[in-house]
Amino acid sequence: MGVAPQLSAFEAALAASLPAGELRAALETAGLPHRRIEAWKWSDLRAALAKAPARAGMLSVNASRKADEITTLDRQPDLLMPRLAAGLSEGCPVYALKDGESLSLDFEGSEGASHHIAAVNVPAGVSATLHERYRVVAGGFANIALRIVLGEGATLTRIVEQDASPNGVLVVTTGIDLSPRAKLHQTTLGFGAKLARLETHITHAGEGAQLVLGGSYLVASGLHLDQTGIVRHTGTNGATRELFKGAAAKGGRGVFQGKIHVEQAAQKTDAQMNHRGLLLGDGAEIYAKPELEIYADDVVCAHGNALGAVDDEALFYMRQRGLSEARARAVLTRSFLAEPLDAIEDETVREALLARLDAALEAVS
Amino acid sequence: MLEIKNLHARVNPEEGEAKAILKGVDLTVPAGEVHAIMGPNGCGKSTLSYVLAGHEGYEVTDGSVSFLGEEMGELEPEERAAKGLFLSFQYPVEIPGVPTLTFLKEAANAQLKARGEGEISAPEFMKFARENAAKLGISSEMLKRPVNVGFSGGEKKRMEIFQAMMLSPKFLILDETDSGLDIDALRVVADGVNALRSPERGMLVITHYQRLLEYLKPDVVHVMADGRIVKTGGPELALELEAEGYEKFTGAAA
Ligand SMILES: Nc1ncnc2c1ncn2[C@@H]1O[C@H](COP(=O)(O)OP(=O)(O)OP(=O)(O)O)[C@@H](O)[C@H]1O
Ligand SMILES: [Mg+2]
Repeated sequence: MGVAPQLSAFEAALAASLPAGELRAALETAGLPHRRIEAWKWSDLRAALAKAPARAGMLSVNASRKADEITTLDRQPDLLMPRLAAGLSEGCPVYALKDGESLSLDFEGSEGASHHIAAVNVPAGVSATLHERYRVVAGGFANIALRIVLGEGATLTRIVEQDASPNGVLVVTTGIDLSPRAKLHQTTLGFGAKLARLETHITHAGEGAQLVLGGSYLVASGLHLDQTGIVRHTGTNGATRELFKGAAAKGGRGVFQGKIHVEQAAQKTDAQMNHRGLLLGDGAEIYAKPELEIYADDVVCAHGNALGAVDDEALFYMRQRGLSEARARAVLTRSFLAEPLDAIEDETVREALLARLDAALEAVS
Repeated sequence: MLEIKNLHARVNPEEGEAKAILKGVDLTVPAGEVHAIMGPNGCGKSTLSYVLAGHEGYEVTDGSVSFLGEEMGELEPEERAAKGLFLSFQYPVEIPGVPTLTFLKEAANAQLKARGEGEISAPEFMKFARENAAKLGISSEMLKRPVNVGFSGGEKKRMEIFQAMMLSPKFLILDETDSGLDIDALRVVADGVNALRSPERGMLVITHYQRLLEYLKPDVVHVMADGRIVKTGGPELALELEAEGYEKFTGAAA
């Protein structure tokens, strides 16, 4: 099979590492996602990787315990990135969470390209916590696919930390199934990378299932964080609450793409999605695209999106009381960004994330 | 203590043309004195307070301000605050997510640090806060709330004076601190302000009403019209204004 001429050296090497077949053909025809593909218009993965080292890297996964089994995925993902992750990983570790358990998975991508998949099951009635952390060293590309299934009445608190990874590239694609009466509270704290994309697809079965999805992000100069989330309501009486808040410094780029899709069968869906962005200086960029796609008629759905700068009058008020301009800005930015994190129930985790946010704020101001 | 000479200032709005607001203000407040400024809506009283506090939205085009013998020039708002200038805002700003006491402690320590003094200890600060809150009838629940968030107009004014007490400034500008206060609250707040009077401290009190001045007993009353001080007198001037209105002064300024 001939390599299409437009492929970068990186893409060609990636294709060569795959066995001949459908996946390899797909990569060779389309290449990696790039800005002319609608879903990636603000995150040009192909460009970010064009000059990246193509050789195989290492993804170290520091897990708080051993996986219960190593299997193959029950269902192949549809999207290219998780398919690549599946195709280039040897087996999929599966973690079946126990009631009251807190599992932590710490992913670190080395130099070079690495791919990984993992699955987490929260069996019916079980209540547990999953705490992930992602970082990629300079010159590294990590492509990770996660599959999370919540059984009936299961409760999962998912915390995702994405560390600032200058000159690293990260793509995490998570597919989540929410069974009837399940509850998921997911909170992300992200700082971006040369390009980082946290993409989440949630199938929401309704029937009393509840989803709280939120996060805070702060992107410093040269960093890029894309949070793309698609929630698909398939059953009646499902609730979704989304609140994302982010700030970009001069030279930083934040992307929020949120979609709530309500199928015709999903009557009585109650869904709200909100994104608020704060531009910390000239040349800061935040792109947001909130979408509702509703096929049911008896639903309550709303979305909001607002971008702004720090309030000058608040800044003056604080400075009048003696705070330096930089400090007043940091305090205002902090209070703005803290809201999604304040919703984390576990005090230790909440305080730890707020402390990380504070440290990052100090570095940008 | 505060000397304002021929002060001209204009606002440069993001949209629209620059507009001159202060057109030659002359005013001197010696230490230990309380001066009142009265004047019709829009004559420039709040603008004067903003310019004195160093607001960047206003441009000084002529004249000067000296405070404690030092030219204020281009000093930043926080530098003026650290020198002891406090402005009680006509419209205090809400700051969501920042608890009042946390904010004040940081402000106090920032000022102390700027003056090269040591920080105030947390227990000392809390004790001082409890004492001042008690004087102003402010509950501990109010102190835990974010700065000004959800407070009524009158409560905000009370909190401004609480902040003044906590920061012990050398000079206070009170911009319509009386507006929004009920009769009892006005008395409590005026008592708080009077407690701050001292031979080392000066005050500039902007108001539309005689009632606050009855409590504060200013040494001097100024009338401002169209960006200038057009008349200066004793406390009786406030009574005269209350009885006759601004007409004869605004006429004089035109
Ligand atoms: N940022 C601004 N942009 C445009 N005009 C302004 C601005 N600030 C003040 N002004 C104008 O300057 C004039 C003086 O305003 P200022 O607030 O100082 O009046 P004031 O004497 O405090 O009035 P009041 O008694 O109503 O509080 C008004 O005409 C006002 O509209
Ligand atoms: Mg005013």
